[in-house]
Amino acid sequence: MASVAIRDVRKSFGATAVIHGVDVAIRDGEFVVLVGPSGCGKSTLLRMIAGLENITSGEISIGNRVVNNLPPKERDIAMVFQNYALYPHMTVGANMGFSLKLRGAPKEEIDSGVQRAADILGLGPYLDRFPRQLSGGQRQRVAMGRAIVRDPQVFLFDEPLSNLDAKLRVAMRTEIKELHQRLKTTTVYVTHDQIEAMTMADKIVVMHDGIVEQIGTPLDLYDKPANQFVAGFIGSPSMNFLKGKVKANGSIGFEGPNGVKLPLKAAPANSDGRPAVYGIRPEHFTIADDGAEAEIVVVEPTGSETQVFARIGGEEIVAVFRERHQFKPGDKVRLKPDPTLVHLFDEATGKRLND
Amino acid sequence: MRLPSLRAVGTEAKLLLIGIPVLIWTMLPLYHMFLFSISPKDSAFSGKLWPDHPTLHNFEVVLKQQHYYLSHFWLQLWNSLLIAVATGVFTLLIATFAAFAISRLRVKCGRLVMNLALFTYFIPAAFLAVPMYRTMGSYGLLNSQWALTLAMVTIATPYSIWVLKQSSDQLPVELDEAAIMDGASPMQLFWLVYIPLMAPALVAVGTYALLLAWNEYLYAFLLLSKDTSVTLPVGLGNFLAADDSPWELLMTTGLIYALPPAAIYYTFKRYMVSGLTAGAVKS
Repeated sequence: MASVAIRDVRKSFGATAVIHGVDVAIRDGEFVVLVGPSGCGKSTLLRMIAGLENITSGEISIGNRVVNNLPPKERDIAMVFQNYALYPHMTVGANMGFSLKLRGAPKEEIDSGVQRAADILGLGPYLDRFPRQLSGGQRQRVAMGRAIVRDPQVFLFDEPLSNLDAKLRVAMRTEIKELHQRLKTTTVYVTHDQIEAMTMADKIVVMHDGIVEQIGTPLDLYDKPANQFVAGFIGSPSMNFLKGKVKANGSIGFEGPNGVKLPLKAAPANSDGRPAVYGIRPEHFTIADDGAEAEIVVVEPTGSETQVFARIGGEEIVAVFRERHQFKPGDKVRLKPDPTLVHLFDEATGKRLND
Repeated sequence: MRLPSLRAVGTEAKLLLIGIPVLIWTMLPLYHMFLFSISPKDSAFSGKLWPDHPTLHNFEVVLKQQHYYLSHFWLQLWNSLLIAVATGVFTLLIATFAAFAISRLRVKCGRLVMNLALFTYFIPAAFLAVPMYRTMGSYGLLNSQWALTLAMVTIATPYSIWVLKQSSDQLPVELDEAAIMDGASPMQLFWLVYIPLMAPALVAVGTYALLLAWNEYLYAFLLLSKDTSVTLPVGLGNFLAADDSPWELLMTTGLIYALPPAAIYYTFKRYMVSGLTAGAVKS
């Protein structure tokens, strides 16, 4: 096990820069998730840690060793690929023991290593099968087994669950988290799925267009997104954004689209009249007489909760209620954002304005 | 049982309508050859569909080298085999390394090499026979079986590189990356991952090169001249030098010569189907 430090790492393919200076510190034993929309550079960053891509500038160290110029096999890391990448001509056992075989380990050591990993993952009965005879979930487990056998300093996961169906994905998510709690190996996990990131990570790194937007614990990112991008990316359904102006003189508030009055607990200093974006999560609305007038557009019950699409000041928003309201499209209701849970963002830069 | 629809019957009939003439067209010369080989010398040209007195005597004559033209039958057959196998092996070696380097290691100038390989097919092999003869002459290789082997490798390699390159492009790059992460050196990657997965393509290409050399006449005729060093097709060509060619022996030898390729084809047919990479990656 080891810590990983990424210092001002940049990557260009020819003249195209895809990663513009990224700093991330990963503690020993931590489960870190790199998350972001496709093309944000998260996979490239992971592949640079793995040694599959060169580092254009900056420094990556594993443990206390700078690994910039070390080939992958000297970095003591293991990687699980999105599409499993199992060797089709080898049995499950041979797949898992391949790295030890390459290292020239004696047969008993390979067998015991494979057996140990197979026990952890419940792959014992499948060791003599070929990958083509396994289901998707089993294949993914073999790919993980291949990583475990090596007992590496760091596990790297590159979107390991995106090829599984929804139900299996949730199960494997728990399995990976459990595995990490057992093995306590430093893990870097890449995904585009914010739910995966939220549920699994000790620490999330949100990336966008080759830069880090915010680093923090899942709840940090949910409660205090540093900017509008993170606010919109984390949480499902996404946060609502309403453009307008801060009112700081007299009664504090926010003037939304078409003059809609929205509550605000405190205004940032010197912000009266400042154009800003008012952010409120769908789950932070209540029905209240002093709420903003809204017209229901669509009601989507999911059983545990109800998603309500409505218009406030002409802008469409979504609200989520756990209690069962009998709304119909066209109904007029008064929706009140919880003023203590409001996020304010600068209209131009998208930076967070309130604490 | 459900009766086949009229449409299915029609399709079947059309296929048969094309298939039967093609089958007859292909089989007729072979049957002719077979007929000659089991006919006594005097009735070979009788024009009958089955000889009155079928005999295996011709095979005995050929296999026991009992005719002037056949005095080196076994040696020439051995020469053919040696050159064909050598051509297959050398072509495979060169083409596999080239395809691996271009497709997997992504060496610089890979595209250039591929284009040059394609370019060689703009010129028919027959046009290159004389330059090849001169080249072999200046290296002092004329009359050596190396000359024919090298010439055949030269002709077979470009196509083989193309086939293997295309086929190795189909292998998922993640397999290479997984092996690299597992600590494989390029050579280990080549032998332990690449070669096993390429096996079907390698068999196909090896067979192609082997049969190309086995069936070659022009280059063998040009580059080799001693009766003891030529391949069997050249030996067969010599049959036609006399006025009264022993046709029944020529056909018998031809039939024997055609058997190994048929055997090779049937042995390796099952390797030529793909599907070996099933289960490697989710596609």
